[in-house]
Amino acid sequence: MSEKDEQQIRYRLKVLSQIEPSSEGLARAKERVRDALSNTEERPKGSRTRIRQVVCNIQTLKTAAAAVLLIGLGFIAGRLFVPAVDTEELQATLEPAIRQRLQEQWRQVYATGFTQIKNELAQQISRDLTEFAEQTLAASSTMTDQRLNELVQLIEAARAKDRQWIAAALEQIELNRRQDNTRLGNGLVTLAARTNDLRRIEEN
Amino acid sequence: MQKRHKELLELLDRSGASLYTLLTRLTLREDIAEELMQELFIKLSNSRGFRKCTSRDAYARKAAINLAFDWRRKLRQKLQFPSEVCELVSNDASPLSKLIQTEELEEILDAIGRLNRLWRQALVMRYIQQQSYDDIAEQMEKTPHHARALCSKALNRLRDVLGANQKNTTEKEI
Repeated sequence: MSEKDEQQIRYRLKVLSQIEPSSEGLARAKERVRDALSNTEERPKGSRTRIRQVVCNIQTLKTAAAAVLLIGLGFIAGRLFVPAVDTEELQATLEPAIRQRLQEQWRQVYATGFTQIKNELAQQISRDLTEFAEQTLAASSTMTDQRLNELVQLIEAARAKDRQWIAAALEQIELNRRQDNTRLGNGLVTLAARTNDLRRIEEN
Repeated sequence: MQKRHKELLELLDRSGASLYTLLTRLTLREDIAEELMQELFIKLSNSRGFRKCTSRDAYARKAAINLAFDWRRKLRQKLQFPSEVCELVSNDASPLSKLIQTEELEEILDAIGRLNRLWRQALVMRYIQQQSYDDIAEQMEKTPHHARALCSKALNRLRDVLGANQKNTTEKEI
């Protein structure tokens, strides 16, 4: 863009900055805002709401305390009335099952991890390709923009030259017209003088 | 609630005129400026950001700018340009010149609306509201040097946007 365009932009911005609204409009707007604000104003919360909240909180606390008490009693009763257990037998029974379960879990984790890595790799490649395509597109778009800009400037220059030629031609036509006028005026003056001379000769 | 209401009324008395002028300049219509002014204060009354911010005037101005450009985006219809809104700079007051001027102003406002929020605010404050770099820096919470750079970049970007517009028009003509 040329310096002329920047001047135009600054000129338009200046015109915008000089726009002033009417005082009636301002008064109307202020009145509307005052009305709107008074309509949207909410009522303050009453003390009754706060009291209800406190009461609710006390009830909740009581319920929680009762629940804790009941759970504690149940736990103590359970500990007192459970029969004795042979720990070695229990260990022998549980060990193979636990081992088998752990092996299965490890296998699953391995399989899931492999699939996840594969998916991430595919996503990464896809992202890279998309990014590359976007960059190529942007570069090509910039180049096209530059070319079009140059074309626009060339067209503008040609139009300006045309305008200059037309202005020069119009100026020349105007000059010719003035010269013609002057010549015609001079001719008429000469004709009038000669007519007077002829009249004087005829009278004599 | 009462306190906030009072603060908003104080803001209205203090900055109401400048906000209304700003909205008129950005919409080119006084009736729309009135509506947006009302909407602005309702939004401010419900805004948490407004309650927490340090400079309420600056916050309100930013909100007004965003509101006006949102309106321009939503309504892409041809705008009227009432003669009483604008004092013409040119002596030539023919209908054609008025029409051309209106179109030029709308074009530049649409182009400003396409800039990002920060550039848009800087441009409006500097070139439409004619504020100093120090004021802009204070409102945007930046240094004056940064504000100056921001305005310059915004103007360059505006030139690019307008250039792209002209190019599109030429392409269509071709």
